[in-house]
Amino acid sequence: MHRYPRWPIHLALVGVSFLMLIPFYWVLKTSVTGENIFAYPPSILPKSPHPFYYVDVWYYIPFARYFANSVAVSMIAVIANVVLNAMAGYALTRDFPAKAFVLLLFLSCMMVPFQATIIPAYLITGRLGLLDSYLGLALPQCSTIVCIFVFKASFDAVPRSLIDAARIDGLAEWRIVWKVMLPLAKGAIATNVILGFIWSWNNFLWPLIVTRSADMQTLPLGLARFLSYQEDTTGALYAFCIMVLAPGILLFLLAQNEFIRGLTSGATKG
Amino acid sequence: MAVAPAVAYRPPRLARKRTRQAVLVWCFLAPSLAIFLLYRIIPLLWNVVLSFADWAPLRTMRWAGLDQYEEMLHDDVFWEALWNTLLFIASAPVGIVIALGLALLVSSEIRGRDVYRTIIFISYPLMTVAVAIIWRWLFDERVGLINYVARSLHLVDRPIQFLNSFVWALPSVIVANIWQMLGFYMIILLTGLQNIPPNLYEAAANDGANARRRFWRITLPLLKPSLFLCIVIGMLNSFTSFDLVYVMTGGGPGRATELLVTYIYKLGFSQTRFDYAAAVTIVFFALLVAIAWMANRLSGGNAGAVETD
Amino acid sequence: MSAGDVETPRWRRLLINRFVLVPAAIAVAIVFWNVYVSMHSHGVVVGRVVDPAGQPVPGATVVLWVLNFTTYVEKTRATTDSAGRFVITDNDSHNIRLAAEKPGTGRSARVPVRLYFRAQDIELREPLMLSGTS
Repeated sequence: MHRYPRWPIHLALVGVSFLMLIPFYWVLKTSVTGENIFAYPPSILPKSPHPFYYVDVWYYIPFARYFANSVAVSMIAVIANVVLNAMAGYALTRDFPAKAFVLLLFLSCMMVPFQATIIPAYLITGRLGLLDSYLGLALPQCSTIVCIFVFKASFDAVPRSLIDAARIDGLAEWRIVWKVMLPLAKGAIATNVILGFIWSWNNFLWPLIVTRSADMQTLPLGLARFLSYQEDTTGALYAFCIMVLAPGILLFLLAQNEFIRGLTSGATKG
Repeated sequence: MAVAPAVAYRPPRLARKRTRQAVLVWCFLAPSLAIFLLYRIIPLLWNVVLSFADWAPLRTMRWAGLDQYEEMLHDDVFWEALWNTLLFIASAPVGIVIALGLALLVSSEIRGRDVYRTIIFISYPLMTVAVAIIWRWLFDERVGLINYVARSLHLVDRPIQFLNSFVWALPSVIVANIWQMLGFYMIILLTGLQNIPPNLYEAAANDGANARRRFWRITLPLLKPSLFLCIVIGMLNSFTSFDLVYVMTGGGPGRATELLVTYIYKLGFSQTRFDYAAAVTIVFFALLVAIAWMANRLSGGNAGAVETD
Repeated sequence: MSAGDVETPRWRRLLINRFVLVPAAIAVAIVFWNVYVSMHSHGVVVGRVVDPAGQPVPGATVVLWVLNFTTYVEKTRATTDSAGRFVITDNDSHNIRLAAEKPGTGRSARVPVRLYFRAQDIELREPLMLSGTS
């Protein structure tokens, strides 16, 4: 193979990394110093940093309340997601009369983006009486087609002999799923949990439509409301940004491989 | 086991088992199907019905024919939103090209490859609202970093009002979007690059092909499925990019960054014109289907699948 | 327990898993922080008042303002003792301002004090200095 110098590649990648990380550094700097909101030219290093903007965010924005709301909605969405998707994925591995039709239905549902359904979805949620509730916030996200196919692919990979052995042993159907197939689909479950959690955590449009009272707002909503009330005249806004981004970054760093695997496997539909 | 004749007659025990299995399968499918029915299919059909009607909450629905569509034809805001959406979609390939370059760099044999990959990818799973606030801050005309850099490098004399000018608002939003999507494109392309068997490169090198020919003849054709995937997802993302636009500019100075999604939201929930919003939604959806179909045709008609030996 | 003792036991594998360690570490940190906060949040503010020469000023009035949305409102007052020290015991805010005054000796500037949590017990490092003009 050719031997080419490595340092230009490193240089280019370091430059790109710099560009990708600069926004984070800038926001972090502003959140601990509060300078540069009115002053110009900006200073590169933080002068006299202090953590008191974070204290302001904690007490003035009801951060704990928004955080709890986001966590509750995400947990409902993720648990429902795993259960429903696993069930549907398993059902799709069996042969039944209308299977082609159901597959076609699922694939065509993938074509319909959420933004094309917001108004009737709002009306439906209103009719169901679920406006401004955790269930109403989580319900549209309780099943995703991408994850159904991930489960289906994972169940398809289970060797037939295992299923046959279990069936000969006389296990009921749901016990087969529970004892035999789910333990072998741990990757699919992890993928589903990560993807479902991140989609639900970052969801902005649906909470914007469905929440009516300030108590039920989720984190993205609280962030946007804070921006519209206070504009960008205080370092507390950027402290809020950092506090909102931190769990996402932490979760991503912990579960990086599962996340990437979920994206690449789920995106290439089987 | 009793021998059953290979005709329609089935022993009762087997038929009961079959129906039991079918019932079970449908029970497993029912919750997911219910959710999709409730939140995808019925809303789509309801939108179609609403777009041909004249309705407001607490009023009875009246058939209105093509009135909503006719109003849409004469609505300047609609055309502006449509144009902005098309521009936004057309900017996705720029990000993909940059990501292709990054993927090629990251996939070469260097140390710390995973660190670079993580750093570039970290922007994708973040909350778009926070990303929008960060970039709004960076583009600020008085104290934003971008203006500071431009003025320090003496590119401009006076600060540019990025988010307040009719010319610069949409490109600014596009830059923020590309920044966020770059990692995602790169990951998809990286996976595609890793799936190319290296002996192809070796064989080509032995035949005397230089790096550029290897890239154009081997890498690009074999990356077609990944590129197609990136284009589809990139266009879908630009199409439905509500969070970024709403928080960064709210529709822009005037309507300079109004997209179809934000227009639908404003029509439905600020002006409460559900029927007109439904008509715009139908056009939005039809445009999406048309673009997806066109992309499929342009890439060879097989959803970009590549022939394997 | 696995059949062979060669591999690590199941409970140990479960514990070293990063998805268990990190949330556990965060939970422990939260518990420790809450314990610290509850032990140090009696709302006690202690400080000294001095005159321009650096001598302690007895009998000066110290006013405490607390932040209420965007403005500071007066909450309570205290008087310095013979050694120039004052003690305020009912602060419940995290963003306060203090000013001292004594007719005849002058008044001090409004000193902003920011705390880490509400009603944090704090002892001011710098004394409030009166200006020296009445």
